[in-house]
Amino acid sequence: MSEYVGEGPYSSPTFGKSLSLRVDGGFNAVSINPSGRDVVLASRKGLYVVDLDDPFSEPRWLHHLTSWEVADVQWCPHPAKHHWVISTSNQKAIVWNLSRSSSKAVEHVLHGHFRAITDINFHPLQPEILATSSIDTYALAWDMRSPKKPYFRTSNWRSGAAQVKWNHKNSNVLATSHSNIVYVWDVRKGTSPLSVLEGHSGSVNSIDFNPFNETEIMSSGNDGTVKFWDYNKVEDELQMTITTEFPVWRGRYLPFGDGYCIMPMIGGNNSVYLANSFHDSGNSESRTTKLQPTYVFKGHTDRVTDFLWRSRHSQNTIIDDREFQLVTWSKDCDLRLWPVPDMVYDKVHYECGKELPEKLPDYDYDTFRSEPENNIVDPRYTNIEIPKETFVTKSGLRQWKADNNIDQLQWISGVRMHNEDSPHDLFEEVSLNNLGEEVTSVGHKFPRIVFEKISVSTGELIITLNGPWVEEDPEKYIFMRIIINFPPNYPMKGNEPAFKIEENRELKEHQKTQIMERLREISKKYVDANRYCLEPCLQYLLGEEVNLDISDMEDDNKIFSFDFEDVTSLDRSSLGSSDDHSDAPTEISSVSDVEFAVGDGSLQLYSSTPEPKFDSTPVPNGCGAVWTAQGTLVCFFRAENKTEKKQHAIINVGRTGIGGFVRSKNVQSASQTLKDNVSGKQRKPKTYREALSINSQHASESLNQSSDSDSDDSDDSYAEFLDDILKNDLTLRTRMPMMPRIFRDETKSTTSVSGKTTDSNKKSKSSIVVQDFKSLIPDKKELAEQYILFRETPEFVAKYNAGIAESYGYEDIAQCWRMISNVLIGRGDNDFYNYDWDQHSLGGKLLVKRLFEYFEKCQNLQMLAMMSCIFATLGRPDQKTNYKLVPPTLSENIITFYNNEYEPSPHVHSTHGSFYSNDTGTQNARMRYGTNQASLNDGSSIISDDYFHQNHHANGNKNGKSHNNMNNGYVETEATIPDIKIKLIHDDVLDLAYQGLEPSLVDPKCETKFRQYRTQYAEILYIWGLPMDRAELLKFNVNLNTEPEYLHGIEQDSGLDIYKGVSNRWIESNHGHTQQNCSYCGLKAGRLVFVCGNCQHVTHRTCAEKWWKIGDECPSGCSCDCIKNFDVSEPLI
Amino acid sequence: MVTINNAHSELIHDAVLDYYGKRLATCSSDHTVKIFEVEGETHKLVDTLQGHEGPVWQVDWAHPKFGVILASCSYDGKVLIWKEVNGRWSQIAAHEVHSASVNSIQWAPHEYGPLLLAASSDGKVSVVEFKENGTTSPIIIDAHSIGANTACWAPATLQQQSNQGTSGSASPQQVRRFVTGGADNLVKIWKYNSDAATYLLEHTLEGHSDWVRDVAWSPTVLSRSYLASVSQDRTCIIWTQDSKEDTWKKTLLKEDKFPDVLWRASWSLSGNILALSCGDNTVTLWKENLEGKWEPAGQVTE
Repeated sequence: MSEYVGEGPYSSPTFGKSLSLRVDGGFNAVSINPSGRDVVLASRKGLYVVDLDDPFSEPRWLHHLTSWEVADVQWCPHPAKHHWVISTSNQKAIVWNLSRSSSKAVEHVLHGHFRAITDINFHPLQPEILATSSIDTYALAWDMRSPKKPYFRTSNWRSGAAQVKWNHKNSNVLATSHSNIVYVWDVRKGTSPLSVLEGHSGSVNSIDFNPFNETEIMSSGNDGTVKFWDYNKVEDELQMTITTEFPVWRGRYLPFGDGYCIMPMIGGNNSVYLANSFHDSGNSESRTTKLQPTYVFKGHTDRVTDFLWRSRHSQNTIIDDREFQLVTWSKDCDLRLWPVPDMVYDKVHYECGKELPEKLPDYDYDTFRSEPENNIVDPRYTNIEIPKETFVTKSGLRQWKADNNIDQLQWISGVRMHNEDSPHDLFEEVSLNNLGEEVTSVGHKFPRIVFEKISVSTGELIITLNGPWVEEDPEKYIFMRIIINFPPNYPMKGNEPAFKIEENRELKEHQKTQIMERLREISKKYVDANRYCLEPCLQYLLGEEVNLDISDMEDDNKIFSFDFEDVTSLDRSSLGSSDDHSDAPTEISSVSDVEFAVGDGSLQLYSSTPEPKFDSTPVPNGCGAVWTAQGTLVCFFRAENKTEKKQHAIINVGRTGIGGFVRSKNVQSASQTLKDNVSGKQRKPKTYREALSINSQHASESLNQSSDSDSDDSDDSYAEFLDDILKNDLTLRTRMPMMPRIFRDETKSTTSVSGKTTDSNKKSKSSIVVQDFKSLIPDKKELAEQYILFRETPEFVAKYNAGIAESYGYEDIAQCWRMISNVLIGRGDNDFYNYDWDQHSLGGKLLVKRLFEYFEKCQNLQMLAMMSCIFATLGRPDQKTNYKLVPPTLSENIITFYNNEYEPSPHVHSTHGSFYSNDTGTQNARMRYGTNQASLNDGSSIISDDYFHQNHHANGNKNGKSHNNMNNGYVETEATIPDIKIKLIHDDVLDLAYQGLEPSLVDPKCETKFRQYRTQYAEILYIWGLPMDRAELLKFNVNLNTEPEYLHGIEQDSGLDIYKGVSNRWIESNHGHTQQNCSYCGLKAGRLVFVCGNCQHVTHRTCAEKWWKIGDECPSGCSCDCIKNFDVSEPLI
Repeated sequence: MVTINNAHSELIHDAVLDYYGKRLATCSSDHTVKIFEVEGETHKLVDTLQGHEGPVWQVDWAHPKFGVILASCSYDGKVLIWKEVNGRWSQIAAHEVHSASVNSIQWAPHEYGPLLLAASSDGKVSVVEFKENGTTSPIIIDAHSIGANTACWAPATLQQQSNQGTSGSASPQQVRRFVTGGADNLVKIWKYNSDAATYLLEHTLEGHSDWVRDVAWSPTVLSRSYLASVSQDRTCIIWTQDSKEDTWKKTLLKEDKFPDVLWRASWSLSGNILALSCGDNTVTLWKENLEGKWEPAGQVTE
């Protein structure tokens, strides 16, 4: 295992350079090793130790799971204890010993505070001493030699302590900040402050003693001021005030020269400001000045959390030759290293090479990133997790690699280094700046390749892959492990990497030789052209063709790249800078490298199996239409604006400048054939992947076309549209190589959110249109709003609804309602005669059946549901059992139809019988010789049916005989249909024992279906915002025809059981609250509910108020008489 | 009529209005999901949901009784669940069982609870249930060998009593069915089997000669069940099943082929109007007439 071993601070590859490290994971605090080698980051998950000299290696992770944000982490500044790191964990402070193995790195736990610790400060002079401050108002000083309890304790008793700092010169003095006041204490004087510095109008966020003058202290706070104090002055402590436009989060003296550095809490361009502190020293009049920064470190996209100084100097010297580098950590998850320009040193009067009164401390230039190896692991510790106080550390040397599940490839992809001093030589051609970036970009392009080891600093790479190297069967794949060693000067000419394929049973010896030979050839070719060779080599190993004609390739690249270039350049301009596009051509080639990967079948995203798999993701749709519940159609289309497209293409060429016209003839013709291919139907891509490759070809094609502007755009809009959808994906995949280029633009940093790439010129990719197609849908909301269900008689309801339908112009619906109302006439009056009529073959029953059939065909759910209510009789079927069939009476009617068209009128002789009858009821039914009205819309079709006698109830019709003659019951037909006249000629009054209960007009067997209509329509009513109508409608689900099974189901458990125990609740349920849905509005019912004690249905209080004004049964439709059982007027509170 | 332009910087792949028609969710190749509030003719961007690492193919609103919840699926193989609380959107769950692009998602009929159906290019279809205790128990079935392109729930219906005998005391059972379409040119219907605790293949419908791009089960439960399947072969097939029978009858929507690949099919909530979107950037509407023939009922173009 060869790790990078630094030789000393002066061979550091990163010092003096800008570097950006993306570290995800919510790290909140940062500190630096005094030697400047390592940085420690702390988060709720533990500590990350990052070696700044080997940023490509993933960090060491010391696990420490806690639910508290880490307020502060500090690295001990003393050479004697340079392995100590202290971090906070709520009210405790943990002292880590990094020279121990990660599993037992916790050396001390300091537990003295009652509430969260806000700040930690190591004593600058004594290695064993540190101080902590907490929001419990206390500041404590600790001695590590007896860490059980603090040796000093102080407080201002009023407000929490935000900061604690030791004096650099006087080892007994420390300062704390409480709210807007700064206190200076002497540990020998207990809790009486040495000095109280008042003057800030907002909380003090940061204090710092002057490292060179004992009694000077600076404080910065939320009031946007930085104040400099000298607490030695008795009256006039405040020396100077600097005002800024932002609340100041941190402000510290520079460790060199005469200056200070401040950092905003919010705003301030997320920058760190460096200023000298003597500019107004001559003018003692005005002690308040505005901030005049000498230098601004600008580039973070979110607020900066902290800044540190990384320094180096010669060993064992009294000459001050320190050099500095700023390290910042920001909420944008970027750890940045900033070189300090020489002019800064001058401005703050820092003289390099000055003789110092005493020697600077020397530090071992070691990294703690790697797990200490010399540490003999106690076998007891390897398997057991040692409980340490109340927190858990888990990590282990044994499974270091496995535990440390930081994806190295991902880690590397977050590293961006920029070497400002690099000569602009041949390297410029290739915008990959180093091996790390190359590995990253390649790694993302070849997801099938597993990188077992990536050691950028030593140039060692171990990869495994499956290559098609079986001679007999090209479809078969062999597992191979390849070790690649890159020389330090790679990819300079003559520095090609060495490949080594591990012994493999399946791979024949001669083939191995052949592969090695070819790899050497490829790598040499590329490296000799000063190009990175990893990608073509891997391509070759995966069994793909590799083009060795590099010059050719470059041409191709240029052409492919314009579209991307456009994206990036626009991206830049959208970021607010319209500056140089001059370097564009140099960037092209790198971006276009992606082209190699496109179209090879190997690009299986997220494939866990090494087997090559066909990605069958279909070409995404570019337009579509989705119905809404309201009957509108949401359509979206891809925008097809050809002129805009063309303009855009021209702009492309314009932007890329002359480069756009550098095209060789043969490329043009090649793309022509491509175009032909694309327009051919067979070549139309089916999968997303195919589409990707075609699109990138198309990218070149569209450019071609734009140059000769008279040729029309391809008639094939397909490719054009693919261009649109896929560009995005290509940018995604080119993201890695693009990064360094963007980063080069120092002033504006980019986050790696690739989706942000906006193409302002073609913004309108798709348009969404919501169109109303309610007219196509037979169910009408306006009718539903007006329809009624409950009135004195169903007949009235039908008639009323007919009027509604008519008023909205639905003539056919109105007609139907009228028919229904006619059928229903008198049903409420217990007029036996009507029931008689119902049973007739031409009677209501048939009509109703036909009506249902008709509306089924029309898909008119509204009518179906309304009808299934109107023909149902509310009540419970078990009530029916009270009724028995009495010995039937037979009635006989002679009905004559007078029809205008039929002469002579047909005579119908019908026999009727068998009514349900109450066994107790023998009183005479009130007989009426009323007129019966029947209006038949489609008279002929009904008449054409059979005219036979019917016995609807077979049982015992024969015995009972009684004549039921009607005395000229003349039937007046409605004026609208004058065709049919029904005359009831014969009538005989019968002593018919009949009461109340009429036989249903609908087949009880259809109830299931009817319930479906109702339920479904109820859903629609709900969507239309008519919960009242819905509840009314659902009441009909319990009627005289309801099957006992259904009722049973309802009664057993209010509907839940039919769903087999599935709970209808979302995962987050509030503890123990009723989480049922309101049976009225269907929404979740929380507090303020009415619960029926009988049926257990829940209703919102407000809903219940509304409902009980009108309804008298449970709104759920369970037919419970909640009102009867409970006084609903009261319990609503 | 509401028109929204410039919603996304890349192509839009789905746009769905919520239950009340007030909020529009769109998703796009730009990896984001956007939420719009639609009021009359006006619309307002409420939020942009970022979290997917690839183009987002589909979104679907859950029934409001579960809260304001949206599911989205993406090329990155993930299904993300988003929730709005007090105007703030946040991701509350992720469903990552698929190893390839998730092409289609749909919430189950609300009666079943928060159940989500997802179809993926890894050939699998998953049904994930978001349980009260925060766990999910995905049922994963191998549906289509090359890739599943689409999946759609059947509406919640009560099982028809097989015999009319009223003596049986068994309560009516909820039948959970869904239909899937895939790259093997097949349409498959799956039914939940409580004994096996998974979904078993009930019918395989053959009829397409190329990839099935979308299937839609009509939400209207009248005497017949309707299925519409659209395919890369530029045809649309209407499958009908009479409530009393077991077989599915196949009807070509129209004899001649459509001008381009058919992408999506959508049934209106009631009234059985079918909306088809086609690769030539048009949307056509279809309606069955009283004779049982399908006839065009309208067209929408940009």
